[in-house]
Amino acid sequence: MARTESDYAEAAERRVSAGRGGQRRSVWGRLLANDLYQAVSAVLFKSERRQFWLLASLPLLWVFIAHLGPIVQMVWISFVDSYPPTGGRVPQFTVANWTSFFQEAIFVMPFLRTLAFAFVLTLCTLVLTYPVAYFLAKHVKRQNQLLFLLLLLIPFWVGEIVRTYAIMILLGNNGAVNLALKYLGLIDRPIPFMYTSFSLGVGIIYLTSLYMLLPLYSALEKIPNSYLEAAADLGAGSWYRFRRVTLPLSKEGIASGCTLVFLISTGYYATPVLLGGPSTTVFAETIAGFFHVAGDKWPVGAAFSSLMLITTLAITGLFLKLMGRSGRSMMQ
Amino acid sequence: MTRHTRILMSVIYWAFIVYLFVPLVLMVTMGFKDSKFIGFPIRGWTLEWYASVFQDTQVLGVFAYSMTIALATTALSLAIGTWIACFLGPHKFRGKLIVFAITCLPAVIPGIISAISLRIFARLIELEPGMLAIILGHTVHNVPFVALVVMARLATLPKSHVEAARDLGADAIVAFFRITLPYLMPALIGAGIFCMLLSFDDFVRAFFLGGYEPTLPVLIFAKLRSGMSPEINAISTVVLLLTAVLGLWAERSMRRLNKGA
Repeated sequence: MARTESDYAEAAERRVSAGRGGQRRSVWGRLLANDLYQAVSAVLFKSERRQFWLLASLPLLWVFIAHLGPIVQMVWISFVDSYPPTGGRVPQFTVANWTSFFQEAIFVMPFLRTLAFAFVLTLCTLVLTYPVAYFLAKHVKRQNQLLFLLLLLIPFWVGEIVRTYAIMILLGNNGAVNLALKYLGLIDRPIPFMYTSFSLGVGIIYLTSLYMLLPLYSALEKIPNSYLEAAADLGAGSWYRFRRVTLPLSKEGIASGCTLVFLISTGYYATPVLLGGPSTTVFAETIAGFFHVAGDKWPVGAAFSSLMLITTLAITGLFLKLMGRSGRSMMQ
Repeated sequence: MTRHTRILMSVIYWAFIVYLFVPLVLMVTMGFKDSKFIGFPIRGWTLEWYASVFQDTQVLGVFAYSMTIALATTALSLAIGTWIACFLGPHKFRGKLIVFAITCLPAVIPGIISAISLRIFARLIELEPGMLAIILGHTVHNVPFVALVVMARLATLPKSHVEAARDLGADAIVAFFRITLPYLMPALIGAGIFCMLLSFDDFVRAFFLGGYEPTLPVLIFAKLRSGMSPEINAISTVVLLLTAVLGLWAERSMRRLNKGA
Protein backbone atom coordinates (compact mmCIF):
# COMPACT_ATOMS: atom_id res chain seq x y z
CA MET A 1 0.00 0.00 0.00
CA ALA A 2 1.35 3.40 -0.92
CA ARG A 3 1.89 5.64 2.02
CA THR A 4 1.33 9.35 2.10
CA GLU A 5 2.94 12.18 3.98
CA SER A 6 0.19 12.21 6.61
CA ASP A 7 0.96 8.60 7.56
CA TYR A 8 4.50 9.61 8.25
CA ALA A 9 3.57 12.72 10.22
CA GLU A 10 2.44 10.63 13.13
CA ALA A 11 5.62 8.58 13.06
CA ALA A 12 7.65 11.76 13.04
CA GLU A 13 5.70 13.00 16.06
CA ARG A 14 6.47 9.81 17.95
CA ARG A 15 10.09 10.05 16.99
CA VAL A 16 10.35 13.59 18.27
CA SER A 17 8.65 12.91 21.56
CA ALA A 18 10.85 9.88 22.11
CA GLY A 19 13.81 12.08 21.35
CA ARG A 20 12.77 14.53 24.02
CA GLY A 21 12.76 11.75 26.58
CA GLY A 22 16.41 12.37 27.35
CA GLN A 23 17.86 9.21 25.83
CA ARG A 24 21.06 9.44 23.88
CA ARG A 25 20.40 10.64 20.40
CA SER A 26 22.31 10.50 17.14
CA VAL A 27 23.15 13.60 15.16
CA TRP A 28 20.22 12.82 12.89
CA GLY A 29 17.91 12.38 15.86
CA ARG A 30 18.94 15.72 17.25
CA LEU A 31 18.47 17.30 13.85
CA LEU A 32 14.94 15.88 13.65
CA ALA A 33 14.18 17.17 17.12
CA ASN A 34 15.46 20.65 16.33
CA ASP A 35 12.59 23.12 16.25
CA LEU A 36 13.95 25.22 13.43
CA TYR A 37 14.61 22.14 11.28
CA GLN A 38 11.10 20.88 11.97
CA ALA A 39 9.63 24.18 10.90
CA VAL A 40 11.62 24.19 7.65
CA SER A 41 10.84 20.55 7.01
CA ALA A 42 7.14 21.11 7.62
CA VAL A 43 7.06 23.92 5.07
CA LEU A 44 9.08 21.96 2.49
CA PHE A 45 7.24 18.68 2.73
CA LYS A 46 3.74 19.92 3.43
CA SER A 47 2.19 17.97 0.59
CA GLU A 48 3.09 15.30 -1.92
CA ARG A 49 2.75 17.89 -4.62
CA ARG A 50 5.15 20.30 -3.02
CA GLN A 51 7.62 17.50 -2.41
CA PHE A 52 7.42 16.50 -6.05
CA TRP A 53 8.11 19.99 -7.33
CA LEU A 54 10.89 20.47 -4.83
CA LEU A 55 12.57 17.32 -6.10
CA ALA A 56 11.84 18.26 -9.72
CA SER A 57 13.15 21.82 -9.50
CA LEU A 58 16.88 21.33 -9.95
CA PRO A 59 16.74 18.47 -12.46
CA LEU A 60 14.28 20.31 -14.70
CA LEU A 61 16.21 23.58 -14.50
CA TRP A 62 19.50 21.82 -15.16
CA VAL A 63 18.47 19.71 -18.13
CA PHE A 64 16.51 22.46 -19.84
CA ILE A 65 19.12 25.16 -19.28
CA ALA A 66 22.44 23.30 -19.37
CA HIS A 67 21.63 20.38 -21.65
CA LEU A 68 19.15 21.91 -24.06
CA GLY A 69 20.17 25.57 -23.72
CA PRO A 70 23.49 25.36 -25.58
CA ILE A 71 21.89 23.55 -28.52
CA VAL A 72 19.00 25.99 -28.77
CA GLN A 73 21.40 28.91 -28.48
CA MET A 74 23.62 27.42 -31.20
CA VAL A 75 20.70 27.06 -33.60
CA TRP A 76 19.56 30.60 -32.83
CA ILE A 77 23.02 32.07 -33.44
CA SER A 78 23.11 30.31 -36.79
CA PHE A 79 20.29 32.57 -38.01
CA VAL A 80 21.80 35.95 -37.13
CA ASP A 81 24.30 37.96 -39.12
CA SER A 82 26.76 38.70 -36.33
CA TYR A 83 27.62 37.28 -32.97
CA PRO A 84 28.92 37.97 -30.32
CA PRO A 85 27.10 41.35 -30.50
CA THR A 86 29.44 44.29 -30.94
CA GLY A 87 28.89 47.98 -30.26
CA GLY A 88 25.19 47.80 -29.54
CA ARG A 89 24.32 46.56 -33.03
CA VAL A 90 21.13 44.55 -33.09
CA PRO A 91 21.74 41.21 -34.83
CA GLN A 92 19.65 40.78 -37.97
CA PHE A 93 17.93 37.59 -39.04
CA THR A 94 19.56 35.84 -42.00
CA VAL A 95 19.86 32.44 -43.63
CA ALA A 96 23.13 33.34 -45.34
CA ASN A 97 25.11 31.23 -42.85
CA TRP A 98 23.26 28.14 -43.92
CA THR A 99 23.30 28.84 -47.64
CA SER A 100 27.04 29.59 -47.59
CA PHE A 101 27.61 25.91 -46.92
CA PHE A 102 26.34 24.86 -50.32
CA GLN A 103 28.32 27.47 -52.22
CA GLU A 104 31.79 26.23 -51.42
CA ALA A 105 33.29 22.85 -52.20
CA ILE A 106 35.76 23.31 -49.30
CA PHE A 107 32.75 23.11 -46.98
CA VAL A 108 30.74 20.37 -48.69
CA MET A 109 33.69 18.03 -49.25
CA PRO A 110 34.76 17.69 -45.60
CA PHE A 111 31.13 17.27 -44.63
CA LEU A 112 30.58 14.38 -47.01
CA ARG A 113 34.00 12.97 -46.18
CA THR A 114 33.18 12.97 -42.46
CA LEU A 115 29.93 11.09 -43.03
CA ALA A 116 31.55 8.61 -45.41
CA PHE A 117 34.45 8.08 -43.00
CA ALA A 118 32.13 7.55 -40.07
CA PHE A 119 30.04 5.11 -42.09
CA VAL A 120 33.00 3.03 -43.29
CA LEU A 121 34.70 3.08 -39.89
CA THR A 122 31.51 2.00 -38.14
CA LEU A 123 31.27 -0.96 -40.51
CA CYS A 124 34.96 -1.84 -40.04
CA THR A 125 34.64 -1.62 -36.28
CA LEU A 126 31.59 -3.88 -36.34
CA VAL A 127 33.32 -6.53 -38.46
CA LEU A 128 36.48 -6.29 -36.39
CA THR A 129 34.93 -6.43 -32.93
CA TYR A 130 32.12 -8.91 -33.53
CA PRO A 131 34.38 -11.99 -33.37
CA VAL A 132 36.15 -10.51 -30.34
CA ALA A 133 32.86 -9.98 -28.52
CA TYR A 134 31.63 -13.41 -29.58
CA PHE A 135 34.79 -15.09 -28.40
CA LEU A 136 34.54 -13.29 -25.08
CA ALA A 137 30.86 -14.03 -24.52
CA LYS A 138 30.71 -17.62 -25.73
CA HIS A 139 34.15 -19.21 -25.57
CA VAL A 140 35.78 -17.73 -22.49
CA LYS A 141 34.83 -19.41 -19.22
CA ARG A 142 32.53 -17.26 -17.14
CA GLN A 143 34.96 -16.85 -14.28
CA ASN A 144 37.65 -15.63 -16.70
CA GLN A 145 35.42 -13.23 -18.61
CA LEU A 146 36.05 -10.32 -16.25
CA LEU A 147 39.80 -10.66 -16.70
CA PHE A 148 39.55 -10.85 -20.50
CA LEU A 149 37.20 -7.90 -20.50
CA LEU A 150 39.49 -5.82 -18.28
CA LEU A 151 42.31 -6.43 -20.71
CA LEU A 152 40.17 -4.75 -23.36
CA LEU A 153 39.01 -1.97 -21.06
CA ILE A 154 42.35 -0.71 -19.79
CA PRO A 155 43.49 0.99 -23.03
CA PHE A 156 40.16 2.77 -23.28
CA TRP A 157 40.56 4.66 -20.05
CA VAL A 158 43.49 6.47 -21.57
CA GLY A 159 42.49 9.77 -23.13
CA GLU A 160 42.00 10.70 -26.76
CA ILE A 161 45.24 12.67 -27.10
CA VAL A 162 47.53 10.13 -25.48
CA ARG A 163 46.12 7.32 -27.59
CA THR A 164 46.34 9.39 -30.75
CA TYR A 165 49.99 10.04 -29.95
CA ALA A 166 50.53 6.31 -29.45
CA ILE A 167 49.18 5.71 -32.96
CA MET A 168 51.49 8.41 -34.33
CA ILE A 169 54.46 6.52 -32.90
CA LEU A 170 53.16 3.19 -34.21
CA LEU A 171 52.66 4.35 -37.79
CA GLY A 172 55.50 6.86 -38.14
CA ASN A 173 58.20 6.41 -40.75
CA ASN A 174 60.44 5.00 -38.02
CA GLY A 175 57.57 3.37 -36.19
CA ALA A 176 57.08 -0.24 -35.26
CA VAL A 177 55.04 -1.21 -38.32
CA ASN A 178 57.59 0.09 -40.79
CA LEU A 179 60.40 -1.44 -38.75
CA ALA A 180 58.70 -4.83 -38.73
CA LEU A 181 58.02 -4.71 -42.48
CA LYS A 182 61.62 -3.73 -43.16
CA TYR A 183 62.89 -6.48 -40.87
CA LEU A 184 60.78 -9.03 -42.74
CA GLY A 185 62.33 -7.77 -45.95
CA LEU A 186 59.00 -6.72 -47.43
CA ILE A 187 60.01 -3.11 -47.97
CA ASP A 188 63.29 -1.23 -48.16
CA ARG A 189 61.89 2.26 -47.76
CA PRO A 190 59.35 3.17 -45.05
CA ILE A 191 55.73 3.39 -46.21
CA PRO A 192 54.32 6.84 -45.40
CA PHE A 193 51.28 5.73 -43.39
CA MET A 194 50.93 8.97 -41.49
CA TYR A 195 48.72 11.90 -42.51
CA THR A 196 46.54 9.70 -44.74
CA SER A 197 43.04 8.37 -44.37
CA PHE A 198 44.63 5.07 -43.37
CA SER A 199 46.33 6.48 -40.28
CA LEU A 200 43.18 8.43 -39.43
CA GLY A 201 41.07 5.28 -39.76
CA VAL A 202 43.40 3.22 -37.60
CA GLY A 203 43.36 5.99 -34.99
CA ILE A 204 39.58 6.42 -34.93
CA ILE A 205 38.96 2.67 -34.71
CA TYR A 206 41.49 2.57 -31.90
CA LEU A 207 39.49 5.23 -30.07
CA THR A 208 35.97 3.97 -30.69
CA SER A 209 36.04 0.17 -30.83
CA LEU A 210 35.06 -0.23 -27.18
CA TYR A 211 31.76 1.54 -27.81
CA MET A 212 31.01 -1.23 -30.27
CA LEU A 213 32.49 -4.05 -28.26
CA LEU A 214 30.62 -3.55 -25.01
CA PRO A 215 27.06 -3.46 -26.45
CA LEU A 216 27.90 -6.47 -28.65
CA TYR A 217 29.32 -8.36 -25.71
CA SER A 218 26.33 -7.73 -23.48
CA ALA A 219 23.91 -8.72 -26.26
CA LEU A 220 25.80 -11.91 -27.11
CA GLU A 221 26.26 -12.83 -23.48
CA LYS A 222 22.48 -12.86 -23.00
CA ILE A 223 21.89 -15.48 -25.70
CA PRO A 224 21.36 -18.81 -23.91
CA ASN A 225 23.64 -21.57 -25.17
CA SER A 226 20.62 -23.87 -25.24
CA TYR A 227 19.23 -21.94 -28.24
CA LEU A 228 22.33 -22.74 -30.25
CA GLU A 229 22.28 -26.34 -29.06
CA ALA A 230 18.63 -26.66 -30.02
CA ALA A 231 19.40 -25.31 -33.49
CA ALA A 232 22.28 -27.76 -33.80
CA ASP A 233 20.04 -30.64 -32.70
CA LEU A 234 17.62 -29.69 -35.42
CA GLY A 235 20.42 -30.02 -37.91
CA ALA A 236 21.50 -26.43 -38.47
CA GLY A 237 25.10 -26.00 -39.56
CA SER A 238 27.33 -23.47 -37.85
CA TRP A 239 26.88 -20.77 -40.50
CA TYR A 240 23.11 -21.25 -40.53
CA ARG A 241 23.02 -21.11 -36.72
CA PHE A 242 24.97 -17.89 -36.77
CA ARG A 243 22.74 -16.30 -39.40
CA ARG A 244 19.41 -17.42 -37.99
CA VAL A 245 20.01 -17.45 -34.22
CA THR A 246 23.04 -15.48 -33.07
CA LEU A 247 22.87 -12.58 -35.50
CA PRO A 248 19.17 -11.73 -35.01
CA LEU A 249 19.49 -12.03 -31.24
CA SER A 250 22.48 -9.69 -31.15
CA LYS A 251 20.67 -7.06 -33.25
CA GLU A 252 20.20 -4.77 -30.28
CA GLY A 253 23.90 -4.78 -29.53
CA ILE A 254 24.71 -4.08 -33.18
CA ALA A 255 22.23 -1.20 -33.29
CA SER A 256 23.50 0.55 -30.18
CA GLY A 257 27.14 -0.13 -30.98
CA CYS A 258 26.84 1.29 -34.50
CA THR A 259 24.91 4.32 -33.28
CA LEU A 260 27.48 5.14 -30.63
CA VAL A 261 30.49 4.65 -32.90
CA PHE A 262 28.94 6.68 -35.71
CA LEU A 263 28.04 9.61 -33.47
CA ILE A 264 31.31 9.59 -31.58
CA SER A 265 33.56 9.23 -34.60
CA THR A 266 32.03 12.27 -36.32
CA GLY A 267 32.86 14.35 -33.26
CA TYR A 268 36.64 13.98 -33.06
CA TYR A 269 38.68 17.07 -33.63
CA ALA A 270 42.22 16.52 -32.29
CA THR A 271 42.67 13.08 -33.85
CA PRO A 272 42.07 14.22 -37.47
CA VAL A 273 44.31 17.23 -36.86
CA LEU A 274 47.16 15.04 -35.61
CA LEU A 275 46.75 11.91 -37.72
CA GLY A 276 45.23 13.29 -40.90
CA GLY A 277 46.61 15.43 -43.66
CA PRO A 278 45.33 18.08 -46.05
CA SER A 279 43.46 15.46 -48.05
CA THR A 280 41.57 14.16 -45.03
CA THR A 281 40.16 17.38 -43.57
CA VAL A 282 37.01 16.48 -41.65
CA PHE A 283 34.05 18.71 -40.88
CA ALA A 284 35.11 19.13 -37.24
CA GLU A 285 38.18 20.97 -38.48
CA THR A 286 36.06 23.14 -40.78
CA ILE A 287 33.78 24.05 -37.88
CA ALA A 288 36.69 24.71 -35.53
CA GLY A 289 38.12 27.12 -38.10
CA PHE A 290 35.24 29.54 -37.50
CA PHE A 291 35.94 29.66 -33.79
CA HIS A 292 39.67 30.25 -33.87
CA VAL A 293 39.35 33.63 -35.49
CA ALA A 294 37.63 36.65 -33.95
CA GLY A 295 33.94 36.41 -33.22
CA ASP A 296 32.26 37.49 -36.43
CA LYS A 297 32.47 34.01 -37.96
CA TRP A 298 30.58 32.36 -35.11
CA PRO A 299 27.19 32.32 -36.84
CA VAL A 300 28.60 30.37 -39.79
CA GLY A 301 30.26 27.89 -37.43
CA ALA A 302 27.00 27.57 -35.52
CA ALA A 303 25.08 26.91 -38.73
CA PHE A 304 27.56 24.24 -39.78
CA SER A 305 27.47 22.61 -36.34
CA SER A 306 23.67 22.58 -36.42
CA LEU A 307 23.72 21.07 -39.88
CA MET A 308 26.06 18.32 -38.74
CA LEU A 309 24.05 17.65 -35.59
CA ILE A 310 20.79 17.39 -37.50
CA THR A 311 22.35 15.16 -40.16
CA THR A 312 24.02 12.75 -37.74
CA LEU A 313 20.93 12.50 -35.53
CA ALA A 314 18.72 11.96 -38.60
CA ILE A 315 21.01 9.22 -39.91
CA THR A 316 21.16 7.41 -36.58
CA GLY A 317 17.42 7.86 -36.07
CA LEU A 318 16.73 6.37 -39.48
CA PHE A 319 19.17 3.57 -38.81
CA LEU A 320 17.55 2.68 -35.48
CA LYS A 321 14.16 2.75 -37.14
CA LEU A 322 15.42 0.37 -39.80
CA MET A 323 16.78 -1.89 -37.12
CA GLY A 324 13.24 -2.00 -35.80
CA ARG A 325 13.54 -0.31 -32.49
CA SER A 326 13.12 3.12 -31.01
CA GLY A 327 15.97 5.29 -29.80
CA ARG A 328 14.43 5.22 -26.39
CA SER A 329 15.35 1.66 -25.53
CA MET A 330 18.91 2.25 -26.66
CA MET A 331 19.42 4.80 -23.95
CA GLN A 332 18.36 2.43 -21.22
CA MET B 1 30.91 -24.51 -33.40
CA THR B 2 33.80 -26.22 -35.09
CA ARG B 3 37.30 -26.29 -33.66
CA HIS B 4 38.67 -24.18 -36.50
CA THR B 5 36.33 -21.26 -35.96
CA ARG B 6 37.06 -21.44 -32.25
CA ILE B 7 40.79 -21.18 -32.85
CA LEU B 8 40.28 -18.45 -35.43
CA MET B 9 38.26 -16.42 -32.96
CA SER B 10 40.80 -16.70 -30.20
CA VAL B 11 43.45 -15.57 -32.70
CA ILE B 12 41.31 -12.55 -33.59
CA TYR B 13 40.82 -11.76 -29.91
CA TRP B 14 44.55 -11.83 -29.18
CA ALA B 15 45.35 -9.91 -32.35
CA PHE B 16 42.91 -7.27 -31.18
CA ILE B 17 44.58 -7.14 -27.77
CA VAL B 18 47.93 -6.69 -29.53
CA TYR B 19 46.43 -3.85 -31.60
CA LEU B 20 45.25 -2.19 -28.39
CA PHE B 21 48.43 -2.60 -26.40
CA VAL B 22 51.29 -2.28 -28.87
CA PRO B 23 50.86 1.48 -29.47
CA LEU B 24 50.74 2.14 -25.73
CA VAL B 25 53.73 -0.10 -25.01
CA LEU B 26 55.69 1.67 -27.74
CA MET B 27 54.78 5.03 -26.33
CA VAL B 28 55.94 4.03 -22.85
CA THR B 29 59.15 2.52 -24.24
CA MET B 30 60.07 5.63 -26.20
CA GLY B 31 59.85 7.64 -22.99
CA PHE B 32 62.92 5.80 -21.70
CA LYS B 33 64.93 6.11 -24.90
CA ASP B 34 68.23 7.96 -24.68
CA SER B 35 67.66 10.16 -27.71
CA LYS B 36 65.46 13.06 -28.66
CA PHE B 37 64.36 11.17 -31.74
CA ILE B 38 61.18 9.06 -31.45
CA GLY B 39 61.49 5.82 -33.39
CA PHE B 40 63.64 2.81 -33.93
CA PRO B 41 66.39 1.78 -33.42
CA ILE B 42 66.86 2.25 -29.67
CA ARG B 43 70.52 2.43 -28.63
CA GLY B 44 70.39 3.46 -24.98
CA TRP B 45 68.06 4.04 -22.07
CA THR B 46 67.58 6.98 -19.73
CA LEU B 47 65.30 8.45 -17.04
CA GLU B 48 66.27 11.94 -18.06
CA TRP B 49 62.89 12.76 -19.62
CA TYR B 50 61.04 11.86 -16.46
CA ALA B 51 63.44 13.96 -14.40
CA SER B 52 62.91 16.95 -16.67
CA VAL B 53 59.12 16.53 -16.63
CA PHE B 54 58.97 16.40 -12.85
CA GLN B 55 61.08 19.57 -12.69
CA ASP B 56 59.04 21.38 -15.30
CA THR B 57 56.93 23.81 -13.31
CA GLN B 58 54.63 24.44 -16.28
CA VAL B 59 53.76 20.76 -16.57
CA LEU B 60 53.22 20.43 -12.83
CA GLY B 61 51.04 23.52 -12.78
CA VAL B 62 48.97 22.26 -15.69
CA PHE B 63 48.63 18.90 -13.98
CA ALA B 64 47.27 20.57 -10.84
CA TYR B 65 44.94 22.70 -12.98
CA SER B 66 43.54 19.62 -14.74
CA MET B 67 43.18 17.82 -11.42
CA THR B 68 41.25 20.72 -9.88
CA ILE B 69 38.90 20.79 -12.85
CA ALA B 70 38.41 17.01 -12.65
CA LEU B 71 37.64 17.09 -8.92
CA ALA B 72 35.21 19.99 -9.18
CA THR B 73 33.52 18.38 -12.18
CA THR B 74 33.17 15.09 -10.34
CA ALA B 75 31.62 16.67 -7.26
CA LEU B 76 29.15 18.69 -9.33
CA SER B 77 28.26 15.82 -11.69
CA LEU B 78 27.63 13.46 -8.78
CA ALA B 79 25.38 15.93 -6.98
CA ILE B 80 23.36 16.90 -10.04
CA GLY B 81 23.29 13.41 -11.54
CA THR B 82 22.11 11.83 -8.30
CA TRP B 83 19.41 14.47 -7.89
CA ILE B 84 18.19 13.83 -11.43
CA ALA B 85 18.22 10.07 -10.84
CA CYS B 86 16.21 10.41 -7.62
CA PHE B 87 13.71 12.53 -9.48
CA LEU B 88 13.45 10.54 -12.72
CA GLY B 89 13.84 7.07 -11.24
CA PRO B 90 10.87 6.63 -8.94
CA HIS B 91 8.47 9.28 -10.26
CA LYS B 92 5.99 8.90 -13.05
CA PHE B 93 4.72 12.04 -14.74
CA ARG B 94 3.72 13.32 -18.13
CA GLY B 95 6.68 14.20 -20.33
CA LYS B 96 9.06 12.02 -18.35
CA LEU B 97 10.38 10.48 -21.53
CA ILE B 98 11.26 13.91 -22.93
CA VAL B 99 13.06 14.90 -19.73
CA PHE B 100 14.90 11.59 -19.82
CA ALA B 101 15.93 12.10 -23.44
CA ILE B 102 17.22 15.60 -22.71
CA THR B 103 19.11 14.22 -19.73
CA CYS B 104 20.92 11.77 -22.03
CA LEU B 105 21.40 14.27 -24.85
CA PRO B 106 24.94 15.53 -23.99
CA ALA B 107 26.22 11.95 -23.93
CA VAL B 108 25.32 11.28 -27.57
CA ILE B 109 26.09 14.61 -29.23
CA PRO B 110 29.34 14.47 -31.24
CA GLY B 111 32.18 15.99 -29.20
CA ILE B 112 32.97 18.95 -31.45
CA ILE B 113 29.33 20.08 -31.58
CA SER B 114 28.99 19.77 -27.84
CA ALA B 115 32.12 21.87 -27.38
CA ILE B 116 31.02 24.55 -29.87
CA SER B 117 27.51 24.84 -28.45
CA LEU B 118 28.91 25.14 -24.93
CA ARG B 119 31.34 27.82 -26.12
CA ILE B 120 28.41 29.82 -27.49
CA PHE B 121 26.42 29.17 -24.33
CA ALA B 122 29.31 30.32 -22.12
CA ARG B 123 29.38 33.56 -24.12
CA LEU B 124 25.63 33.98 -23.60
CA ILE B 125 25.84 33.65 -19.82
CA GLU B 126 29.00 35.79 -19.92
CA LEU B 127 31.26 33.11 -18.56
CA GLU B 128 34.85 33.89 -19.58
CA PRO B 129 36.75 31.01 -21.19
CA GLY B 130 38.72 29.36 -18.43
CA MET B 131 38.39 27.03 -15.49
CA LEU B 132 34.73 27.67 -14.70
CA ALA B 133 33.68 27.28 -18.33
CA ILE B 134 35.56 23.98 -18.58
CA ILE B 135 33.99 22.74 -15.36
CA LEU B 136 30.55 23.62 -16.71
CA GLY B 137 31.27 21.84 -20.00
CA HIS B 138 32.59 18.71 -18.35
CA THR B 139 29.73 18.61 -15.88
CA VAL B 140 27.17 18.81 -18.69
CA HIS B 141 28.95 15.96 -20.43
CA ASN B 142 29.23 13.78 -17.30
CA VAL B 143 25.80 14.22 -15.73
CA PRO B 144 24.08 11.72 -18.09
CA PHE B 145 26.51 8.96 -17.12
CA VAL B 146 26.05 9.58 -13.40
CA ALA B 147 22.26 9.76 -13.78
CA LEU B 148 22.11 6.47 -15.70
CA VAL B 149 24.37 4.57 -13.27
CA VAL B 150 22.59 5.91 -10.20
CA MET B 151 19.15 5.23 -11.69
CA ALA B 152 20.13 1.62 -12.31
CA ARG B 153 21.27 1.25 -8.71
CA LEU B 154 18.26 3.10 -7.33
CA ALA B 155 15.88 0.73 -9.12
CA THR B 156 17.20 -2.12 -6.96
CA LEU B 157 16.63 -0.33 -3.63
CA PRO B 158 13.66 -2.00 -1.93
CA LYS B 159 10.95 0.58 -1.25
CA SER B 160 10.44 -0.90 2.21
CA HIS B 161 13.84 0.37 3.37
CA VAL B 162 12.85 3.98 2.98
CA GLU B 163 9.34 3.30 4.31
CA ALA B 164 10.81 1.70 7.43
CA ALA B 165 12.93 4.77 8.03
CA ARG B 166 9.93 7.01 7.59
CA ASP B 167 7.91 4.84 10.01
CA LEU B 168 10.64 5.32 12.55
CA GLY B 169 10.22 9.05 12.23
CA ALA B 170 12.80 10.16 9.68
CA ASP B 171 11.64 12.85 7.29
CA ALA B 172 12.37 12.69 3.55
CA ILE B 173 15.75 14.40 3.88
CA VAL B 174 17.01 12.28 6.75
CA ALA B 175 15.75 9.11 5.06
CA PHE B 176 17.65 10.09 1.94
CA PHE B 177 20.91 10.69 3.77
CA ARG B 178 20.68 7.65 6.03
CA ILE B 179 19.12 5.04 3.73
CA THR B 180 19.25 5.98 0.06
CA LEU B 181 22.68 7.59 -0.05
CA PRO B 182 24.58 4.76 1.70
CA TYR B 183 22.82 2.30 -0.58
CA LEU B 184 23.93 4.27 -3.64
CA MET B 185 27.54 4.55 -2.45
CA PRO B 186 29.15 1.86 -4.66
CA ALA B 187 27.45 3.35 -7.73
CA LEU B 188 28.56 6.83 -6.71
CA ILE B 189 32.18 5.77 -6.25
CA GLY B 190 32.23 4.04 -9.64
CA ALA B 191 30.47 6.88 -11.44
CA GLY B 192 32.66 9.43 -9.66
CA ILE B 193 35.89 7.85 -10.84
CA PHE B 194 34.57 7.66 -14.39
CA CYS B 195 33.72 11.34 -14.18
CA MET B 196 37.28 12.08 -13.13
CA LEU B 197 38.62 10.05 -16.04
CA LEU B 198 36.27 11.67 -18.54
CA SER B 199 37.14 15.14 -17.33
CA PHE B 200 40.87 14.56 -17.01
CA ASP B 201 41.08 12.98 -20.49
CA ASP B 202 38.79 15.35 -22.30
CA PHE B 203 40.37 17.41 -25.02
CA VAL B 204 37.76 18.99 -27.22
CA ARG B 205 35.71 20.76 -24.54
CA ALA B 206 38.81 21.93 -22.67
CA PHE B 207 40.26 23.19 -25.95
CA PHE B 208 37.29 25.34 -26.89
CA LEU B 209 36.22 26.41 -23.40
CA GLY B 210 39.68 27.03 -21.97
CA GLY B 211 41.41 30.36 -21.67
CA TYR B 212 45.16 30.87 -21.92
CA GLU B 213 45.88 28.23 -19.32
CA PRO B 214 45.82 24.75 -20.93
CA THR B 215 44.65 21.52 -19.35
CA LEU B 216 46.95 18.53 -19.63
CA PRO B 217 45.49 17.09 -22.87
CA VAL B 218 45.50 20.56 -24.42
CA LEU B 219 49.14 21.01 -23.40
CA ILE B 220 50.11 17.65 -24.90
CA PHE B 221 48.24 18.58 -28.08
CA ALA B 222 50.06 21.90 -28.33
CA LYS B 223 53.43 20.20 -27.76
CA LEU B 224 52.59 17.55 -30.37
CA ARG B 225 51.82 20.16 -32.98
CA SER B 226 55.35 21.47 -32.65
CA GLY B 227 56.77 17.95 -32.95
CA MET B 228 57.17 14.72 -31.03
CA SER B 229 59.50 14.66 -28.07
CA PRO B 230 60.33 12.06 -25.41
CA GLU B 231 59.06 14.45 -22.76
CA ILE B 232 55.56 14.04 -24.18
CA ASN B 233 56.04 10.28 -23.80
CA ALA B 234 57.00 10.74 -20.17
CA ILE B 235 53.97 12.94 -19.44
CA SER B 236 51.68 10.55 -21.32
CA THR B 237 53.06 7.56 -19.43
CA VAL B 238 52.33 9.21 -16.09
CA VAL B 239 48.80 9.98 -17.31
CA LEU B 240 48.43 6.41 -18.54
CA LEU B 241 49.43 4.94 -15.19
CA LEU B 242 47.13 7.26 -13.32
CA THR B 243 44.13 6.53 -15.53
CA ALA B 244 44.73 2.77 -15.43
CA VAL B 245 44.81 2.76 -11.63
CA LEU B 246 41.70 4.95 -11.39
CA GLY B 247 39.89 2.86 -14.00
CA LEU B 248 40.64 -0.42 -12.27
CA TRP B 249 39.44 1.04 -9.00
CA ALA B 250 36.20 2.20 -10.60
CA GLU B 251 35.72 -1.17 -12.25
CA ARG B 252 36.17 -2.92 -8.91
CA SER B 253 33.55 -0.83 -7.17
CA MET B 254 31.13 -1.28 -10.06
CA ARG B 255 31.65 -5.06 -10.04
CA ARG B 256 30.88 -5.25 -6.35
CA LEU B 257 27.76 -3.27 -7.07
CA ASN B 258 26.63 -5.79 -9.67
CA LYS B 259 27.12 -8.60 -7.23
CA GLY B 260 24.70 -6.73 -4.99
CA ALA B 261 27.00 -5.69 -2.17
